[in-house]
Amino acid sequence: MDEFNDNEIARLLRLKRYEQPPPGYFENFLHEFHRRQRDEMLRQPLWRICLERVHGFMLRLDARSLASYPVAAAAVLACAAVISLKIYQQPETPRVALQSPPVLSAPANPGEELTLASPGIVRIRTQPLRNFNESAQTHRAAVPPHYVLDSVPVSYEPTFRF
Amino acid sequence: MDQPRVDPDQELVKRTQSGDAGAFDELVVKYTPRLYGLVYNMTSNHEDTNDLLQDIFAKAYRAIRGFRGKSSFYTWIHSISVNMTLNFLKKRGRRFQLSLDDVDASIQNDKEFLQSTATSSPVREADLSELQRRLNEAMMKLSDEHRAVVTMFHIQGMPHAEISKILRVSEGTVRSRLFYANRQLQNYLDEFRKNPVS
Repeated sequence: MDEFNDNEIARLLRLKRYEQPPPGYFENFLHEFHRRQRDEMLRQPLWRICLERVHGFMLRLDARSLASYPVAAAAVLACAAVISLKIYQQPETPRVALQSPPVLSAPANPGEELTLASPGIVRIRTQPLRNFNESAQTHRAAVPPHYVLDSVPVSYEPTFRF
Repeated sequence: MDQPRVDPDQELVKRTQSGDAGAFDELVVKYTPRLYGLVYNMTSNHEDTNDLLQDIFAKAYRAIRGFRGKSSFYTWIHSISVNMTLNFLKKRGRRFQLSLDDVDASIQNDKEFLQSTATSSPVREADLSELQRRLNEAMMKLSDEHRAVVTMFHIQGMPHAEISKILRVSEGTVRSRLFYANRQLQNYLDEFRKNPVS
């Protein structure tokens, strides 16, 4: 019985090592590889090409520690940008009296007559710009803003002489 | 005693990771013939082998920055090759019919080949071209995983341990697959020997 045993199978299979591609194939393989790489690169969007160039440049500069964490670096920059935008967009505290028309209010004690000793103080009560519910959504303060301005500053009152 | 082996490709890998494309070219030149044999004997088609090999090196180039050297570059590039080829074969499925033109006619003029075949009695009796064709057919009858093991062990001459690392299976699994594949090949070629005309 002349059957194929394991050794003969192995020997036959080893013969398949001699199956080779056409002559010159290995010499041209690298050129073909470069050509395909170039074609693939040209199909990429411009930003990705730029990113890869920058990455390659940083690697050549031996900035590996920095270049190996580009995502982390980008995240830090993005966070910094967001925080700075938040800071600059916060509403400033108004320094000037509001422009709404003044509303004259009655004196605190209506029965009391006006005397020279107690010069009448006309109080101007400003109207809130927005109603309370509306402002509560945008401002942290629970109490609505309340401004009381004297009609005539004390320092400007004329001196009375008797 | 297992001595930690130094990867002979370590320097080229480091240079490639530093952005030296020429170093990767050297790796391509070094590994192309070997990987060609691996992929070709799994696909039995020159065109597919060429396309796959290009894709394998392109993928390796993209991924080499993440290569940390836990295995040798040899093992790493072989793993990529086998996995990509197995994926390709799964996609190709049954659309593929073995082309008998894939039999390499030039092999019969190879001096080493003729010397090897001269000592084998079954081979001597059979027409070499026909036997090679039968062998290719028998290989294609194996499952993709079995063919991969047979290719790496018998054709590429890799040890069991290396194959197990590449396939990420145990050595026992490698041996078991080899045993089963050998039996299948043996049965198929015995049929040919008993009835060479069929």
